[in-house]
Amino acid sequence: MGRKLDACLNAINEVVLGKEPQVRLAMACLLGGGHLLIEDLPGMGKTTLSHTLARVLGLSFQRIQFTSDLLPGDILGTSIFDRETGQFTFHPGPIFAELVLADEINRATPKSQSALLEAMEEGQVTIEGATRLLPNPFFVIATQNPFSQGGTFALPESQLDRFLMRLSLGYPARSAEKALLLGESRRELLPRIEPIIDHTELAALQAQARGVRASDALVDYVLRLVDATRNQPQFAYGLSPRASLAILSAARAWALLIGRDYVIPEDVQAILPAVIGHRLRERTDPTGHSGGALVQWLLREVPVL
Amino acid sequence: MTSASLAQPIPRVSLNWLLVAQALVIVPFSLHIPVSLIVLWLACTFWRIQIFRMRVRMPGNWVKSGLLVGTAGGIYLARGSLVGLDAGAALLIAAFILKMLEMQTRRDALVLIFLGFFCVAVGYLFEDALLWGLFTLLPIATLLAGLIGLQQSTLSNKPAGTLMLAAKLLLQAVPLMLLLFLFFPRLDPLWSLPQPSNKALTGLSDSMAPGDIAELSKSAALVFRASFAGPIPPRNQQYWRGLTLEQFDGRRWSQSSRAQVPDAPDWRKEGVKLSYSIVMEPTGKPWLMTLDVGETDLAGVRQMSDFRWQRRRPVEQSVLYSVNSWPDAVRETVLSDGSRMQDLQLPAKGNPEAREWAADMHRRYPKPDALVDGVLSYFTEQPFHYTLKPPVLGANSIDDFLFGSRAGFCAHYAGAMTFVLRAAGIPARVVAGYQGGELNPGGNYISVRQFDAHAWVEYWQAGVGWRSADPTAAVAPARIEQGLEQALSADEDFLADSPMSALRYRHLAWLNSIRLSWDNLNYGWQRWVLGYQGQQQLQVLGRWFSGFQAPVFAGAALVILGLLALWLFKPWRRESDSQLRLFNAFERLLARHGLRRQQGEGARAFASRAARRFPAHAEAIEGFAREFEAQRYAGVSGSVGQLRRRLKNLRRSLPWRLSAVKDKQP
Repeated sequence: MGRKLDACLNAINEVVLGKEPQVRLAMACLLGGGHLLIEDLPGMGKTTLSHTLARVLGLSFQRIQFTSDLLPGDILGTSIFDRETGQFTFHPGPIFAELVLADEINRATPKSQSALLEAMEEGQVTIEGATRLLPNPFFVIATQNPFSQGGTFALPESQLDRFLMRLSLGYPARSAEKALLLGESRRELLPRIEPIIDHTELAALQAQARGVRASDALVDYVLRLVDATRNQPQFAYGLSPRASLAILSAARAWALLIGRDYVIPEDVQAILPAVIGHRLRERTDPTGHSGGALVQWLLREVPVL
Repeated sequence: MTSASLAQPIPRVSLNWLLVAQALVIVPFSLHIPVSLIVLWLACTFWRIQIFRMRVRMPGNWVKSGLLVGTAGGIYLARGSLVGLDAGAALLIAAFILKMLEMQTRRDALVLIFLGFFCVAVGYLFEDALLWGLFTLLPIATLLAGLIGLQQSTLSNKPAGTLMLAAKLLLQAVPLMLLLFLFFPRLDPLWSLPQPSNKALTGLSDSMAPGDIAELSKSAALVFRASFAGPIPPRNQQYWRGLTLEQFDGRRWSQSSRAQVPDAPDWRKEGVKLSYSIVMEPTGKPWLMTLDVGETDLAGVRQMSDFRWQRRRPVEQSVLYSVNSWPDAVRETVLSDGSRMQDLQLPAKGNPEAREWAADMHRRYPKPDALVDGVLSYFTEQPFHYTLKPPVLGANSIDDFLFGSRAGFCAHYAGAMTFVLRAAGIPARVVAGYQGGELNPGGNYISVRQFDAHAWVEYWQAGVGWRSADPTAAVAPARIEQGLEQALSADEDFLADSPMSALRYRHLAWLNSIRLSWDNLNYGWQRWVLGYQGQQQLQVLGRWFSGFQAPVFAGAALVILGLLALWLFKPWRRESDSQLRLFNAFERLLARHGLRRQQGEGARAFASRAARRFPAHAEAIEGFAREFEAQRYAGVSGSVGQLRRRLKNLRRSLPWRLSAVKDKQP
């Protein structure tokens, strides 16, 4: 099983060049059963990453481009009158895919955003009174551009909390970019990728991640981290219990990816910036993107042992 | 600090604090050093600041040598010498000023800082009052701040932070200071330091012309303070004996040569005993003040033939001594021939009227006591006048005073009366000392000041011995009962020369109470802090420890050691968790070798860092860390013993070092 995971990572890294840590985090996010928010400039490989993940894991892939005139129906699907049968038939929206890429999620109105986010949380959608289950597994990878804020609707904290991780890909290293320029087009590469893991294996891996051992001492460390965010003055507000759960499940998935059956504090530290960076605000700057500095503070000051 | 770091330039914060510290060190000296040094200091400070702002250069060697020679020469010209306390202090301050100009590297700054500390200590030679003691905390704190600013730390660009840390360090030094203060033996100095010359001492001298005491009464300087064990005797019995003046040359009374010979007088204790202790201010004179007839056990002090107490060395620093006095003691019922001759001595010629009057009195009152009463009643009945500004007397000063001007100060009365008694054949002498003093109700002690200086008469009769008589009491009873201020007439201004003296405003109740409280505080400082040495220290320690049994003492020592151990080892911070305890030991071991775990560093990260640092021991280090991790996080149920064995392995290859190595990479 471990070998298969490594093979997955290698396959993705062949397409998304020079982004091993982010790829690994994204993988951990999916293994932990959470959704991923990627915050970056256009053209940094967000779509490629999502698409590759879908291919490697053998998931059906759908992309929704969020715009300000996007309606909830455009995401979830609508019933259309069928003249032949004389009945309304439901046409499922793009959300009924196993891996959904919600591109530029902050361009849509809150109404449409919440339609997606509710679906993410519940794993089902209710349309015209009928509850429809979303496929299993179900992942959402949302992206947003943090730098152009004009005409956008920033995701409120409550919505941000639903993403297990927030990542930023960043510019590729020089060598990686050179390889990218010299190599084949990514779009041509993508269809050639063979799925490495099937649905049952993925479910088994997720179950295995849930079974990774987190000892008392480790949980204490997580609690110390969470307590610090609740008690230290520089934090505008503390982390929710959902956040502590997120830390633990991400750390477990990370340990599994490394091939360990128990979590150590270093695992927690590895996933911490991605897991809680978007959940923290500085007291002096409650709207800004100051989470990163706070996470660094936590990593530095909270006693590990 | 290594030699390389000593040669580094001085951080800005440190320089700022050093400039402030220099000002704080030098300003109190401004009264004791030549004015030109102050000018030099201001110029050097300006120069140093300009150097710092890169407007001018550091002085060259020629300039430095010139400044050094010029300053030394200037001090020589101003003080007439380069040795001695005054010139020495001036030289020291000059060095302190010039070093700032020369200061370029950390090494120079360190020299400057230690010089500053030494200057502060030298300042105590000039001044040891409470306010000064408190003030010196400022230069010490700023010097410490400068010292901290020199170190490369996170504080090195926070001036307030360095000062706070300096204050904290000072505060932490308090327990040690108290311990040393209490227990450190006060050694007598190996050499004696002369008094600073500009500290002019006023006070009684060993001779007295009629105007001398009136001169003294213009000064409000403190002479001594006395606290009584029992009730304080009434004011009209507070005659503080200094010395006796037995030799008269027709104008001036002076100490006889006989009085210099040590010869304990013969006296008998009688009546009630008064116990008190006195803190005497420096007088530059060897005699100590006591009430009649006193007895003290201070070392290096003896009673002389005229009942005065004399110290081997002059009183150059304040002295604390305790005295028992018997006011009703019988003194010298038998007088030696030498003494009799001395106490009947009169100039061969002069003052014929007084001699004649004395003979006449002797015929009327054959008994000495009666004659004394007669003289006193003469003073009372005739229009004698008590004044600080008596008219000038002629060659026969006693005649002029007794029958002419009839106006004078206590010295006039005492001198005239002694003359008359001697002329009538009664051995008599003038006693110089202080009378009365101000009661401080808060502290229940008496402060005696220079304006309490007084002279009175002592006469002798066979079988009875010496008795005291005070003609001033007959003329101006208010002087004895209430003090000088009340005794002076309205046109004579009390303390006319010192308009700022708080003593002049005693009628303002609030000001007076502040003055008395402040005086009380100073007295406490003198008695309990400055006076805590020699016998006083032995007494206090003896009082504390004599009552203790040895086991109690040992127990107390154990308790103190135990508390110290608790504080050092902090067992409450010891981990109850044995895995963590062993890990802490692991950490301490590596810390001894200069590698400290960061707060947020996990076991694995720390171990791999340590392995990189000590590649030779990588296996042992990682072995321990693996075992720790397995037990702590993987739920492997290994025993603590296993972990301990791993640690022992590591210890064997990486032995404990006594002195911790500084962590180079934070």
